[in-house]
Amino acid sequence: MTPILAALLAVAAGALPLRTDEAGTFQAQGQQGTSNAPAQRSGDEAHLSRGVQLMQDQLFEAAANEFEQALALSPQDPRAHLQYAVCLLSLGRNEEARVQFEQVRKLAGESRYVTYYLGRLDFLSNDYASAIRRLGSVAEDPPFPDTAFHLGVAYISSGNVDEGTKWLERAAKVLPRDYRVHYRLARAYTSAGREQDGAREYGLYSQLRDEHKNTEKDVRACTTALRTELLDTARETCHRIYDPNDPDKLTLLGQLFGDAGAFAEALEPLRRAVQLDPNSFEAWHNLGVTCFRMNRYQEARSPLERAVALRPEYYGSVVLLGATLYMLGDDDAALPVLERAHRLNPADTQTEAILEKLRAGRKKE
Amino acid sequence: MLRGMTRREFLGLLAAGSAGVRVARAQQSGGMASRGVRPQARGKPSGLPFHARFTDVAARAGLRAPVIYGPPDRMDYILESMGCGVAFLDYDNDGWLDIFLLSGTRREGPVEGATNRLYKNNRDGTFTDVTAKAGLVRQGWACGVTVGDYNNDGFEDLFITAWPQNVLYRNNGDGTFTDVTRAAGLLHPGNRWGTGCTWVDYDRDGRLDLFVSNYLVFEFDKIPAAGKDPSCNFKGVPVNCGPRGLVAERPILYHNNEDGTFTDVTDRTGIGTVPPAFGLTAVAADLDGNGWQDIYVACDSTPSLLFRNRGDGTFVEQGLLSGLAVNEDGNEQAGMGIAIGDFDTDGRLDALKTHFAEDTVALYRNTGHLVFEDVTLRSGLGVETRYVGWGNGIVDLDNDGLPDLFWVTGSTFPEVERKHPEFPHKTPRVLFRNLGGGKFEELVDLAGPAIAEAHCSRGVAFGDFDNDGDLDILIMNVNEPPSLLRNDVNGTGHWLKVKLIGTRSNTSAIGAVVTAIYGGRRQAQAVLASSGYLSCGDRRLHFGLGAAEMADLEIAWPSGAREQIKAVHADQLVTVKEGAGIVGRERFGA
Repeated sequence: MTPILAALLAVAAGALPLRTDEAGTFQAQGQQGTSNAPAQRSGDEAHLSRGVQLMQDQLFEAAANEFEQALALSPQDPRAHLQYAVCLLSLGRNEEARVQFEQVRKLAGESRYVTYYLGRLDFLSNDYASAIRRLGSVAEDPPFPDTAFHLGVAYISSGNVDEGTKWLERAAKVLPRDYRVHYRLARAYTSAGREQDGAREYGLYSQLRDEHKNTEKDVRACTTALRTELLDTARETCHRIYDPNDPDKLTLLGQLFGDAGAFAEALEPLRRAVQLDPNSFEAWHNLGVTCFRMNRYQEARSPLERAVALRPEYYGSVVLLGATLYMLGDDDAALPVLERAHRLNPADTQTEAILEKLRAGRKKE
Repeated sequence: MLRGMTRREFLGLLAAGSAGVRVARAQQSGGMASRGVRPQARGKPSGLPFHARFTDVAARAGLRAPVIYGPPDRMDYILESMGCGVAFLDYDNDGWLDIFLLSGTRREGPVEGATNRLYKNNRDGTFTDVTAKAGLVRQGWACGVTVGDYNNDGFEDLFITAWPQNVLYRNNGDGTFTDVTRAAGLLHPGNRWGTGCTWVDYDRDGRLDLFVSNYLVFEFDKIPAAGKDPSCNFKGVPVNCGPRGLVAERPILYHNNEDGTFTDVTDRTGIGTVPPAFGLTAVAADLDGNGWQDIYVACDSTPSLLFRNRGDGTFVEQGLLSGLAVNEDGNEQAGMGIAIGDFDTDGRLDALKTHFAEDTVALYRNTGHLVFEDVTLRSGLGVETRYVGWGNGIVDLDNDGLPDLFWVTGSTFPEVERKHPEFPHKTPRVLFRNLGGGKFEELVDLAGPAIAEAHCSRGVAFGDFDNDGDLDILIMNVNEPPSLLRNDVNGTGHWLKVKLIGTRSNTSAIGAVVTAIYGGRRQAQAVLASSGYLSCGDRRLHFGLGAAEMADLEIAWPSGAREQIKAVHADQLVTVKEGAGIVGRERFGA
């Protein structure tokens, strides 16, 4: 997810979602460090998956409940601790989040992701020195694109405007479309008496903010048009959102078309979105869904594999990848994926039924 | 391929997994800005005692008439949801605060007893409704009130914003008022929704001019009612539409011609150059300390406006440059009420702005030269995001010398509560005590029963109605009688009240800034004609002094004159006349 998506889509409390490599790493480490029985693992995974889904839907209280249940079954699973920690951060339960992040570190070792989050927590508790130390230690190899932004803000809050400005300038290069960065930078320049630089940044801020607001309007208009007009007419309205250089808008556009069942229209913007932002889970997943719904299973496979790599605990991506592999006739590949989907959501009796048939079919062969 | 199951069946079985990921979009509804902000974690309570205790004495004081504002159980139109302000004023100059309550009505037609009301203070804790006698009976959609002596005759006049027409009442000095709107040239063509209003002597000619903010273009029959437009929803519940999606308005500035008339100077003063905005509370104060009144307007879901007074009869909008337009991340908020005060006692006027639920208030620290810093989160205010905030104050409620923060709350969408109990219609008052060092702590039970009581409130005014040396609170509650929170301070903190009378300046001294120096602190306060949400408080400035038994005073008069008064003893009201020093002293209860 790019920073603009974070801003545009208002991810609660600024807590960014996890990244593929992070989750993957913790998964591997967690598997090494745990000795749960298979049945217990199954329950653990299901709660974890439900929690991830609930987080995606921004139902943080319910998600926290799922993570707590996952941890009750597998208290040594760093993935659950990590997801729980991010969830608690989103809920503003900062001290509890800190405990969970520390637990992740204990179970899985040092991680720049955990360091980043602990730095953000330090900032929220007004411990600017610690926030600077932590965020500064990961700033050269940042776990998230907004690391420089938060480091800059921490410096400025600590009174070191010069150093803060330096990091905000770096953040503006990494996140050129994030109006927050330009606003903070404008404030920093102004407070340092750099009026011209400040005016330039205020200008950029205003321009980006206006664009953001216009996008909101366009999204409302597109939603209404897709609901009330013929696709040909709605397409024209929705095309106002199209920006070939903005992966967030492209992802939004694809989602809006997809929601309306206009999968053919969703395809191109989503393809372009994943090119521009290959780390966007939403874009990959929705591209996979779109191809799948268009019965283009071969084309759905790769995006869904990317989505699953980015969010291994997200049941929707996993089950759809399993289905895609199955539809492609790759039963060997489909079986473990569907088994994993079933572990993530044991309540889905339909997947279970398919699995039984798939296993039975293999026995016959 | 698996036998015994068709492709269609398989796809059907897996339909649940084939849903796209829904990414949450900011502001899907057309309503007010609610940023989905989660509260910060609460720290451990300080355990310190709080010496103010509030009791709602409205009923026993005789304030029993409900303030009608729209239907009792729903708010179909945004006009019905915004409520109105209240005022403490001394209309008869007897030294005791009287009460003026605005009122709305109902769309269906006149409601018996629904009128703006003037209550005269009986000096025994009770009030008498003198509305009819004073000539102030009026039913309509009143919104804001500003109190000031615009004709410098020594009596406080009233200006009221309302949809569809504002009203100016001249105080005749004999207990009655006269509607002089037409004679003053303040009738405007067509219907407008005036909201915030403040008297302000922007050109320092000694006469009070008038600033009016307008909210949006409103007509009952041109705005979709709740549930009629699918985009007007909150948390999935159909609610009244706006302000987003409706047509915003510009503010107006009227110049006082000294002959009882006013001239619209919006364009020539630069006030009219700003893009339309959803303007609500307007406050005039000299925020940069240059001797000229600036005007700060809380805007709802558009960036708030700060008009810097250039000192040459014109203004330039500097909301963004000052830091007062948006929050620290550059996001506009649903600005409702504005409080001006000096929470960190550094001698500069700071600002507190209230917003919608799922957002924090914004506390702006004045760092000088009209630059403000958003210190909301670091001051500890981020713990409270549950309620829609309205009238507010930066006021020392316990006389410890450190101004506290107070605001009232209440939903604009009563329908939502039925589906989402976590968004109740009636909600409690919010009080953050000042711990010093720029930190605040929310108090729920420590300040008396009236704080936790839930109402759907809007306007709030602060003043000492019982002249006992502390600040009481008057609150407008939608479709309920008002609340009058009597403050009973039981600590040892001292206090000092300062009443100013202008001579070269306007007689109300609106726009003056008094800085009290006591116990190593410098606390600035401004004489305001409007504050909180569309309301107006006691013109007598109240300084809690803590342990200090005297204070030095520095007075910056609206005329530009400056005056110093040394070693003023605590626990009294002093009246200072411009150019003449202290002309009156009163020890309450003596």
